[in-house]
Amino acid sequence: MRHLFHLTPFTALASFLVLSQPLLAETPRAIMPKQHQVVFDKYCMDCHDAATEKGKVNLEDLSFDIDKDIVTAERWQKILNAINSGEMPPEKKEQISDAEKTAFLEDLSIQMVTARKVLSDSGGVITLRRLNRREYANTLEALLGVRPDVSDLPDDQASTSFDTTGASLFFSSDQLEQYLTTARQTLELALRPRTPVESKTIRIEPEEELTPHYAASAARMRDTEERSRAFLAQKVKPASDFGLLDEYQAKKQRVQEWLPLMEDYLKRPETKTGATLIMTIKEGGATKVKLPTLSERAEGKYIVRVRAAHYPDAAERFHYLEFTSSTGYDSGRTLLGWRKVTGTLENPQVIEFPIEHRPGEKQQIWIHQRTHQDRGDKNLATIDMEKNGIGTPPGLWVDWAEIEGPVQDDRITQAASALLFAKPDDWNDEHYAREVLMRFASRAFRGEEPAADFMDRLCQQYAANVAKGQKPTAALLGPLSIILSSPSFLYMVESTGNEDSAKLTGAELAVRLSCFLWSAPPDDELMRLAKSGQLTEPAVLKAQTNRLLADPRADRFVRSFTYQWLEMARLDMFQFNGVQFPTFDNAVRENAREEIFQTMNLMLTQKLPLKTLLKPDFVFVNDLLAGYYGLPGVEGHEFRKVPVPEKSLRGGLLGTAAVLAMGSDGQRSSPVERGAWVLRHLIHSPPPPAPPNVPMLSRFDGQPLGARELQKAHQEQPQCAQCHQKIDPVGFGLENFDAAGLWRDVEKINTGGKKLTIKAKLGQSFPIDPSGTLPGGTAFKDFFGLRDAVAGRIDKFAQGFAESLVAYGLGRPFGFADQTLADTMLKQAKAGDYDMNLFIHALVQSKPFQTK
Amino acid sequence: MKNASPIQRRAFLRSSSALITLPFLESFGFRKFASAATVAAAPKRMVFVGMGFGVTADRWYPDRKTVGENYEIPEILSPLKKHQKDITFIQNLMRQYSADGHSGSTFWLTGANRYAIPGQSFHNTVSVDQVAAEVLGEQTRFTSIQLAAKNPSDSAGDGHGPGFSLAWNRSGKPMSGLDTPVAAFHRLFSNDDTPLAERQQRLLEQRSVLDTVLVDAKSVSKKLAKTDNEKLDEYFESVREIEVRLAKEEKWLGIEKKVPQDAVKQPGESLEGFEEARMMYDIMVAAMQVDASRVFTYRLPVNSLIASLGATMSAHNMSHYSEGERRDVSQSRDKANAELLAGFIDKLKASKEADGSTLFDNISIAMGTNLSSVHTLTNCPTVIAGGGAGFKHGRNLVMSDPKTPLCNLWLSMLKGSGIQVDSFGDSRGVIEELFVG
Repeated sequence: MRHLFHLTPFTALASFLVLSQPLLAETPRAIMPKQHQVVFDKYCMDCHDAATEKGKVNLEDLSFDIDKDIVTAERWQKILNAINSGEMPPEKKEQISDAEKTAFLEDLSIQMVTARKVLSDSGGVITLRRLNRREYANTLEALLGVRPDVSDLPDDQASTSFDTTGASLFFSSDQLEQYLTTARQTLELALRPRTPVESKTIRIEPEEELTPHYAASAARMRDTEERSRAFLAQKVKPASDFGLLDEYQAKKQRVQEWLPLMEDYLKRPETKTGATLIMTIKEGGATKVKLPTLSERAEGKYIVRVRAAHYPDAAERFHYLEFTSSTGYDSGRTLLGWRKVTGTLENPQVIEFPIEHRPGEKQQIWIHQRTHQDRGDKNLATIDMEKNGIGTPPGLWVDWAEIEGPVQDDRITQAASALLFAKPDDWNDEHYAREVLMRFASRAFRGEEPAADFMDRLCQQYAANVAKGQKPTAALLGPLSIILSSPSFLYMVESTGNEDSAKLTGAELAVRLSCFLWSAPPDDELMRLAKSGQLTEPAVLKAQTNRLLADPRADRFVRSFTYQWLEMARLDMFQFNGVQFPTFDNAVRENAREEIFQTMNLMLTQKLPLKTLLKPDFVFVNDLLAGYYGLPGVEGHEFRKVPVPEKSLRGGLLGTAAVLAMGSDGQRSSPVERGAWVLRHLIHSPPPPAPPNVPMLSRFDGQPLGARELQKAHQEQPQCAQCHQKIDPVGFGLENFDAAGLWRDVEKINTGGKKLTIKAKLGQSFPIDPSGTLPGGTAFKDFFGLRDAVAGRIDKFAQGFAESLVAYGLGRPFGFADQTLADTMLKQAKAGDYDMNLFIHALVQSKPFQTK
Repeated sequence: MKNASPIQRRAFLRSSSALITLPFLESFGFRKFASAATVAAAPKRMVFVGMGFGVTADRWYPDRKTVGENYEIPEILSPLKKHQKDITFIQNLMRQYSADGHSGSTFWLTGANRYAIPGQSFHNTVSVDQVAAEVLGEQTRFTSIQLAAKNPSDSAGDGHGPGFSLAWNRSGKPMSGLDTPVAAFHRLFSNDDTPLAERQQRLLEQRSVLDTVLVDAKSVSKKLAKTDNEKLDEYFESVREIEVRLAKEEKWLGIEKKVPQDAVKQPGESLEGFEEARMMYDIMVAAMQVDASRVFTYRLPVNSLIASLGATMSAHNMSHYSEGERRDVSQSRDKANAELLAGFIDKLKASKEADGSTLFDNISIAMGTNLSSVHTLTNCPTVIAGGGAGFKHGRNLVMSDPKTPLCNLWLSMLKGSGIQVDSFGDSRGVIEELFVG
């Protein structure tokens, strides 16, 4: 259909009739209602008629079929932009009345969205897909047992809504070189000779390093104080005799404000035998227990053990050990996890924490208190010091920490011996090499045999390497990395084969299925069923879908689909100020994100209805998140179901810290962002994209105003009002949650002090009015009302979910041609209370999923 | 095909002398002329520097009421005051297809319409530097050099948008950039100790790798329908591009890389932010002194830049500035960029060419971004400098049409530098005001 121009007029017409008829009935059009011609006639035609054509803009020949072609759509986009930005009509001319403007913009912005969809619709075509970065990494891991470092490859998420969209997965020469390099590095790690590394335990007694360190700090501070005071107490000797610069310095230094913290630390008897985790400003920041570096060759699993106790009078968030790791030169620290300490100084406990160590990497493990993204902890310590004269009361004491390992990863050895299988005695090196390359290429190409001339080339490469003096294994590295950089590997090739059958072969279906649910190639069982032809039987396909979903690898589907579907990238877009939001730290952010994934996973494994995401009678949290939400009685780091009453703040996406924090800018909650998110993802009523260049509401700059007041500004101008009257009232329902997702009864805002660091000026308070309306007129009084109203629109929620699933699973944007598919999925799923599994089965069993 | 591993590369760099000076500049091309005892005119060069997120809009632009020469450089750009006569601000430039508030660099040098191709949600076209490089890059070892600070991939990053550098090739595909001063230093100035024969052998092997993947690409192509073959063309094109690069490499194989007249200190591993950017500018100057390349793009760091200035917020936080700390950081970033640019101009003015002119006399520099501030995409901040394109500098130019295409400026730079093109991107013509006083 996209290539009509290649056909003769007659065949074109014929195929148009045959192919397009069923689609035409489904495809919406983007047409600007003719009634708006009046606006053109009244306000625009003086300058923009065919005769005047001011600025080369002629509105007379403009088609009202916005989706006619891209040129027409661009012309309408410019009209939309010009009116939105207030550029047109010019100030001196008569202005469009508010009523006309609102109606015009409302229709146009909605029609533009449809037009973009129509014009970028692939008409049901699934473009050849390259492995995206996640799939590439998973595939290499499946083949070689080693996870490659893919940080130099594009992440493939920037230019499209789902990173499975073939048309948006590009390829460049730099990428080709990077694939060759990455493949070679990973192969070197996978095939290097393995000497077993003996597992051993190394214990660190942190007081050996830390107590002398803090003692020296205290001595230095005391000395400075004494010299400064001695100098100030006399008038004869110059400052230099006291090792000081001048009187100013002496006055500044005569009180060392952090000395009491050092003294407090040193006088604790437990610091003779262990380390108390404190926060210092210049003595190394937070106390960190550092474990010995794990070497490049000592990969495998390790266990970290910590004997620790907690101080009951510290804030709850300080009762968690935070485990982080740093690798290489330039990467920052990676957060590994948290463990709550309940042991006491009298009766400390030993905590275990598992660590993975990848081959070829140096890794350092650190143990310390919970951290913020910014200097929040240091600033809070300063505030505490100003209050209590010492600093933030510590929460933890560590007696010792040890690391035991490695237990080597069998997968690497297994993968290596599968690749370099034992050479039969009667084979020479060339024969063996050819067979190694042949078998590996077939696996890498997901069951496709490599072409004979390609094999010949690979063998020539091998022979040339041997001729250069390379050992047989080393000589294979080059040709093996070529296999992993070839199109048969990098692209999911779906052969057209027989032109009149667009049905996928068994192997192609297996690849599509495993990429959908595992983001990885099929395993042996799936491939066997594909090759034998059984996979195309609906019952077998269903059983395999269930098997794939039950496999731990399905976690990749849950995470990557959910992350992209709910636009969770926003959770990292803004930093939260540690002083303003002391409890919203790195630990809460990571666990809040995890809450969403874990909940989705639970829905899948327990076959829960989709409504669970809107209004369940439980939350799925761990100790750390329960601490943040203020839910008592949750012990242990594993996520588990915690029942909640009807009027609980938590339970459902709307009450999660992740979703609420995403709807803020790190300082204030944003009814706009939250409202738009609800419209987009929960009730499938997406507002048009925010127009750029709309004049900022700058007249409020610097004025402290409550959220309601600020949003009122949106109602003043028609170009804002037409969308915001739908968006903002939804967001108001969530106003009782602050930027970090905690409950508040009044809105407190920063009054614009220069620095919001040490002395946060949380000056003004505003009352909160959480009432609002959903589009279509369901009014609600507060958060609970909003949650109920949203839950009442479960069919809409299901529709949005189905569309996203189709886009992710098929690898193309959801198009108009897919509406029938979505309807079928919804029908089948609704019969089972919208169990997520039913959507997946319906999609996998559908014709589009099994067709090229 | 790239260097075996970062660890080896670093070891190699450390072992080479940390500070290198060698006699003199002059390009390969120039030497040929010099031997004929004539002094050739100094070559034209171009530099594009992209800022990512927009600027502090109400303080960055010179006052629109004082156009022409009698304008004042805004206070937050004070480091540029000493070069006032040699730089020009241009206002009212924009890109007609702008829509994305987080992509300051993706379309900045291309002017493309992201949605131009039916059925695709992302499309781009060739960037102006690459058009210039096709002509200016012929005689140098490196056709063009792309420098690009690491763009954090999480969140909105540095506000650059999709892409690996500012450069997009002839088919609108992203080109990768050298992301650290160490990598750039190595590529431009470090000589390979491997014997010539071995390096020739290596080129042969690289060609053979390409031949092999092509065999597979051809057999895949036979299995695919037409639309999918269009997608696979990207692969074929990539192979061809590498072949062109290898052919050039071969031409230069026997010629040692030159070391600049001003000692360039080998950069440390850990440079970040302000110092990293300063080193990148120094490396560009040095590369021009030895005529290693004539076309440069540099995608500036933003997150690490503000971190090195003492900020503890992300660049995206900063870009949504209001009164208070975010605005302070935004302004200090603007000032830092002005200081870096001013330092770059100082060094270009101090570098003499063989004909007595300076590097600055023959260069065209454009610094800017596609984002004005927050999500505003009109009046793209643009400051230009250098005598390469024959522009009259020292002015605050405000285009009468508030939608003057940025591509008009790119076309003016191309034409002014002697590159024969009729149009570029969505240009409607050159900016005549640039050429007349």
